Amino acid sequence: MKILEAKNINKSFHDPITIQVLKEVTFSIEQGEFISVIGKSGCGKSTLLYILSTMDTDYEGDLIIDGVLMRNKKEAELARVRNEKIGFVFQFHYLLNEFSVLRNVMLPGIKLGKYSDQEVEHKAMEKLKILGIESEAKKKPNQLSGGQKQRVAIARALINDPLIIMADEPLVILTKKTANWSLTFSRSYLMSIISRCS
Amino acid sequence: MNFKLIASVSRSLLFARWKQTLIAAIGVTFGITMFIALLSFMGGLNGLLDSLIINRTPHIRLYKEVLPSDIQPVDLSAQYTNHYNFVNSIRPKNERPEIQNSFAVINALENDRRVLGVAPKVTAQVFYNVGLVNLTGLINGIDVDAENRLFAFSEYVTAGNFVDLKNIPNSIILGKAGAEKMMVEIGDVISVTNPRGDRIPLKVVGLFESGIQELDKVQSYASITTCQKILGESSGYITDLQIKLHDMTLAPEMAKEYSELFDTEAVDIQSANAQFDTGSSVRTLISYAVGVTLLIVAGFGIYNILNMMIYEKMDSIAILKATGFSGKDVNRIFIFIALTIGIFGGLLGLLFGFGASVLIDQIPFDTPALPHITTYPVSYNPKFYIIGGIFSLVTTYFAGYFPSQKASKIDPVIIIRGK
Ligand SMILES: Nc1ncnc2c1ncn2[C@@H]1O[C@H](COP(=O)(O)OP(=O)(O)O)[C@@H](O)[C@H]1O
Ligand SMILES: [Mg+2]
Repeated sequence: MKILEAKNINKSFHDPITIQVLKEVTFSIEQGEFISVIGKSGCGKSTLLYILSTMDTDYEGDLIIDGVLMRNKKEAELARVRNEKIGFVFQFHYLLNEFSVLRNVMLPGIKLGKYSDQEVEHKAMEKLKILGIESEAKKKPNQLSGGQKQRVAIARALINDPLIIMADEPLVILTKKTANWSLTFSRSYLMSIISRCS
Repeated sequence: MNFKLIASVSRSLLFARWKQTLIAAIGVTFGITMFIALLSFMGGLNGLLDSLIINRTPHIRLYKEVLPSDIQPVDLSAQYTNHYNFVNSIRPKNERPEIQNSFAVINALENDRRVLGVAPKVTAQVFYNVGLVNLTGLINGIDVDAENRLFAFSEYVTAGNFVDLKNIPNSIILGKAGAEKMMVEIGDVISVTNPRGDRIPLKVVGLFESGIQELDKVQSYASITTCQKILGESSGYITDLQIKLHDMTLAPEMAKEYSELFDTEAVDIQSANAQFDTGSSVRTLISYAVGVTLLIVAGFGIYNILNMMIYEKMDSIAILKATGFSGKDVNRIFIFIALTIGIFGGLLGLLFGFGASVLIDQIPFDTPALPHITTYPVSYNPKFYIIGGIFSLVTTYFAGYFPSQKASKIDPVIIIRGK
């Protein structure tokens, strides 16, 4: 089953001069597939990821997620898609320092509103356990190391059991130990990880 | 929508910058406190001044003026109907300044639904006899109960009991300044001379202070019957009818109506005391203007702090959006923050405002003009609190509106790429 399809995606920047970064990008991802996008620095990997994650809507071509065309969807609808179907791990972990680690992981789950707060908390603890950082749950993100932060970000990406996980240069995943985790994910959660290395 | 989630995110953002939040809230608190204190004080002052003048003045006063007749005999003559008749030096005929048929008029007024009450009055020009000297005086013969009910008579009787006027025959309440001039005290008997030259002894049962010394020296109060006795008139003799209405604003047109209906002169309070009305409304306007200005300044404080918060929280906003919060959610979060500041700041402000009013109410305020006032006047009108509360919410909402609009439009891609 195809969970993501990109058809003829073009993207250009016009400032300061017009350059086309993405040219006719066409591919599809099957459920449970693990994909790495590799290319040299500045070739447009992040740009592609922002489009695939529905955050960037300024492109040409079609993006189909879980069989639904993303074109002409409203901002709030796209937010819902990101919340429900996509887990995103940023290049620089991006946690909310105002919340505890546990709460950071829980937020997208509470936003989804499918489960009660207790259930979401339970699920969040499970994800933290998988990543081996359940002991840090009560800490604030700024009390963690960089690697720990990224694991929290991964736990957060997993909280709503998304169809697809996108990660932009996820250094932790590339370490020896976490390479195993990525395998674990792809089997047990049936999702794909798009990542890149330069 | 998921209100609990929005509230929890807002709370976390608020507490993350609790010092700024506190300062913003203090701004609102200060504004509302001053607003309440100012309006309560001004309201109290207005009430005081109103009670000094307006509450003691009838809304409509009916009286009979002795005027020359408009129609002279020559006008009635058939021979001269088509002529211009000039008659010089017309004099009024010998008439008493009495309201004709007073019982019927009072009855008609009391049955009028717009009328709160009627207090009849008889005024008598007299001389107070002090040894060989005669002082001019004016005795107001009043219906003690009606006068007290409608014009708070008891409030300015500062010595003795005003009810004695009704219960003790041939009694009088003198102005305090007048009593001092005559060197009499409560219990003494004075004698007055009526316009015909008869001397009548009257017992002093009380003293009043109206707040206007010159008035106190001349005027005095007696019951209607005593006054009628002084003048040697029958019990139907009434010179003034003082009318209080449910709705004061009707006074001018009703005065006109009564004037025609009862064939008397009629003055309404608006024409008699125009300046007081204007004074009250201008004072109220000024206090509202100052209060509203304070709140708007507080609103700008909130606006600044929210704007700053949005710049600081760009990353957090981008993250929230990337993980599935919509622009609307982000908008709601910041509105929620603004309203939280408004509600807590406002509530505290209402409380402190009440405290300040109570405090002002304790400050001694001694003025010989106002004997029954011992502290600064304060009005605890709930209207001020309602307006203050609503206004704090409205200002904070608008202060939060533009920053939250801006926050909701933040493009997460730009923020995330910028890192
Ligand atoms: N906002 C922008 N305006 C203009 N050019 C941009 C903008 N964002 C990215 N680019 C350009 O697009 C290209 C691809 O960038 P990016 O996708 O971040 O590369 P990477 O593959 O390293 O992630 C780069 O050449 C970059 O200069
Ligand atoms: Mg990149």
